Amino acid sequence: MEPIITLRHLSKNYGDKRVLNDINLDIFPGQIIGYIGPNGAGKSTTVKIITGIIQDFSGEVKVAGKDLRENLMEIKGMIGYIPELAELYDLLTPRDYLTFIGKLYHLPDDIIEERSRKMLDSFGLLSNIDQRMDSFSKGMRQKVLLTSGLLHNPSIVILDEPLSGLDANAVILVKELLQVLKQEGKTIFYCSHMMDVVEKVSDRIILIDKGNIIANGTFEELRQNGTDSLETIFSKLTSGGDLTQKADDFASALNDRSTAL
Amino acid sequence: MLPSTLWRGMGADTDQLRAILNVKLMLDDRKPMTLGRQRKEKKEKRNGILTNMFISLCMGLLYTFPLIFLMIDSDSGKDNTVFALTLYFSMFLFMLSFLLITDFSNILFDTRDKYIIFPRPINDKTLFLSRMLHVFIYLFRVIVPMSIPGWIVLGIVHGWKSVVLFPLPLFCLVFIALFIVNGCYLLLLKLTKPERFKEVINYFQIVLSVILFIMGYLMPRVMQSSFIQHVDLNTLSWVRFLPPYWLASCFIWLGHTAPIAGTQWYGTLAIIVPVVCLWVTVKWLAPQFARNIGAIDTVEVTEQTNVSTKKTASSAKYYTWLANLLNRTDDAKAGFIITWLQTSRSRSFKMRVYPMFAYVPVYFVYMLTLDRNRSLSETWQELPNKPKFLVLLYMCVVVVTQALNYLTVSDQYKASWVYYAAPVDKPGKIMSGAFKAIWVKFFLPFWGIIALFVLYIWGPARILDIILAVSNMTLFALCIMRVGYRILPFSTQEQMNNASTRFLRVFIMLGVPGLLGFGHYMAVDIWWLKVLFLALSSILLWLVWDSYANTTWENARKADI
Repeated sequence: MEPIITLRHLSKNYGDKRVLNDINLDIFPGQIIGYIGPNGAGKSTTVKIITGIIQDFSGEVKVAGKDLRENLMEIKGMIGYIPELAELYDLLTPRDYLTFIGKLYHLPDDIIEERSRKMLDSFGLLSNIDQRMDSFSKGMRQKVLLTSGLLHNPSIVILDEPLSGLDANAVILVKELLQVLKQEGKTIFYCSHMMDVVEKVSDRIILIDKGNIIANGTFEELRQNGTDSLETIFSKLTSGGDLTQKADDFASALNDRSTAL
Repeated sequence: MLPSTLWRGMGADTDQLRAILNVKLMLDDRKPMTLGRQRKEKKEKRNGILTNMFISLCMGLLYTFPLIFLMIDSDSGKDNTVFALTLYFSMFLFMLSFLLITDFSNILFDTRDKYIIFPRPINDKTLFLSRMLHVFIYLFRVIVPMSIPGWIVLGIVHGWKSVVLFPLPLFCLVFIALFIVNGCYLLLLKLTKPERFKEVINYFQIVLSVILFIMGYLMPRVMQSSFIQHVDLNTLSWVRFLPPYWLASCFIWLGHTAPIAGTQWYGTLAIIVPVVCLWVTVKWLAPQFARNIGAIDTVEVTEQTNVSTKKTASSAKYYTWLANLLNRTDDAKAGFIITWLQTSRSRSFKMRVYPMFAYVPVYFVYMLTLDRNRSLSETWQELPNKPKFLVLLYMCVVVVTQALNYLTVSDQYKASWVYYAAPVDKPGKIMSGAFKAIWVKFFLPFWGIIALFVLYIWGPARILDIILAVSNMTLFALCIMRVGYRILPFSTQEQMNNASTRFLRVFIMLGVPGLLGFGHYMAVDIWWLKVLFLALSSILLWLVWDSYANTTWENARKADI
C-alpha cells in the first residue's frame, strides 16, 4: 500500500536550536497514528510542517504521493487540523466562525450551514450556535474547533490534544468519532500527552524526543517484555531519570520545618 | 506606610493586608490605561500610575479654564467667582464620575479574587480593609493631581484662605461622585445583561475620550465668547438645583466676604447632601452592587431552548449578502465577513476607531473658531464662499487610516493559524475583502454624511469635488495598506513603534493627504482639471488595488503565530 504521508530527512532549526533531526516516517491511510513525546520534543513542529503552516524546513514531505511544497493548496485542502489550545476568534459565534472557515475551504453556503448545524447538534451545541464564544468554556470551544477542522470533510485529520477541556461524555464521543472516521478510510494523526487514550485508540505509536524518533510501532511491538503500559514505556525512554526519586525530592522540600496545619 | 497597630486593632492580618495591597497596586501600575493608546510593549510595562496621574493633572488643567477666564470680569472687575466655581465643579464632578465609571469595575471588583484570594485563609476584615484602602489609594492618586491646578489658581486669586478651605468642597464632591458612580453601575446592571456590561463601560470610555478632546480644543474659545462672559447667575434659577452650584456657594460662604443671596442654605446643602450620598452608598448601593457584580464575569452559557432552528443565516444576515455582492472569491468573502464582525465586536477596535468619527467635526469647528476677529456666526455665514469643504473632505481620511491601522491587530492574533492551515493561495484575496469591509462600513456612511453637509452648505456643484476627494483618499488609504500593511486581518499583536517610525508615519498620514488636498485646491475652480485628476486617480487606484489584492504569501508579512 502507498503511504499517505511520507517524511524524508525532515529537519527544522529555530536559530541554532535543532527541533527536528532527520525524521523519516511513512504513514498509511486508514490508520490512527498516536504521536507522542515530552514537551518541546518537536511534535507541534512536525504537525505544523505537514499542515503547511511552517514552510521553511529541509527534507521532503509528500502527502498522497505529491510533494507538499509544489501542491500546497491541494494538500492543505485534504487536511483537517485541530490545534492545541483553543485559539479562535471568540468574539464570533460558532455560526460566524464556521462560515468564515467554510469560506476559506471554498464550501458553498448551504453545505456550511447544514454541516455545522448537524455537527454542533451531535456535540450538544446547537442551541449555542448564535452565542458569542467569549462566554464558552474550554470544552465548548474545543468542540467548535473540532467541528471547524472536520467541516470540509478532510481525508487526513490532524489533532493536537483534542480532548483537553472536554468532559467525560465528550471524550467518549470523540474517541468513537475517531473510530468512525478511521472506518471511512481517513488517516488520523493524533498528538497527545494522555498515554492511556493513545494506547487504546492508536494503530501505531510514534515516540519522538529531542527531535528524533525513538520508537515507532504498534503498542505490542513497543512493550518489549509484555507487561509495561505505554506510560511506563514513555517515561523509561524519555525522562532520563527516576521520576519516583524526583517526586520524593519535591515532597521533601516541605520537610524543612514543621509548618503543616 | 500603614499604621499597623490601627489595622490590627480593627481585626486585620497586617502581613496579608500588605501582601494583597502590594500585588494590587503593582497590577494597577502595569494595567493598560483607560485613556490613550493601549499598546503592548515588549519590555516590562511600568509607570502606569505616574502616567495616569499626569493625565489627571492635564484634565485638572482643563477645568481651570473657567477659573482663569471668568473669576474676575475683565471689563468691569466684578467678582464672578460663584459662576466660575460652579462651572469648575461641574466639570470636575462630571469628568471624575466618568473616569471612575470606566475604571472602577476593574479596581473594585477583581473577579480573579474569587480563585486567588478567597480560597486562602484570609478573614473578612482583612479583605474589606484591603479593598477600602485600595479604593482610597486609587482615588487619592486621581483626585490630588486633578485638583492641583484649580488649587493653585484659587490661591493666586483669592489668597491662602481659599487654599486651606478648598479641600472641603472637594471632599463633598468626591462623595457625590461615588454616589453617582455606584448609582450608575446599579442602573447599568439593571438595564443591561451582565455579559454586555463591559461593552457598555467601553462606550463610556469612548465618550469620555471624545469629551476630553472637545474640551481641549473648544474650551478656551468658549470661555472667551461674549455669551459666557456675560452670564448672570441670578437670572438662571435652575442652576440652584445643581450640586456644583451648592459646592461653589459653600466655598464662598466659608471663605469669602461677599456672599450672595441664599448662600448659607446652598452651602449647608453642599455639606449635607454628600454625607447623605455617602451613607446611601455605603449602606445600600455598594452591597447591592457587590451582589450583582459577580455576574459580570461568570460564564453564563444558558441553554437556549427555543432557538429558531430553522433560521437560515446565510440569506438572512445582511453582511453575508453584502459580502457575496461585493466579492467574487471565497477568500475575499471570508475576509469581508470576519472583518465586518470583528470590528463590530472588538472592544479595543471600537475604543480606537470610534472617537475618530467625532474628532473630524470637532476639529472642523475648532478651525472655524481660529479666526478671532469674527464671531462664530459670522464665520458660519461666510462659509459657502470659501473652499473649506476640502479640509473637511480630506480630514475624513483619519477615520479610515485609523480603522485600517487596527485592522491587522487583534488580542487573539493567535487564532490566525487558520489562514495558514486553509488552502488559501493568495492572502491578498482575504486582505482585499477586509479592505472592502472597512471601506463600506466606516468610509462610506461617514463620507455620505460629510458629503450631504458639503452639498447643503456649498451647493450641488461640489459633487465633482466630493467624488475626486473620495477617489484620492481611497487611493491614499490603499497605498498605505499596499506599502505598510500587507498583513492578514487580525493576525498581529499590537506593537510599540519607535519614535522615528512614528514620526515618519504621522508625517505621511498628514502630509500626503495634505498634498493631495492642495492639488485639489489649486484645481478647485477648473472643472476639466478636476476631471483629469479624477481619471488619473482612478487609474492609479485600479493599479494599486490589483497589486494589493494579488499579494502572495511571499510578499505578505507573517502573522505573529
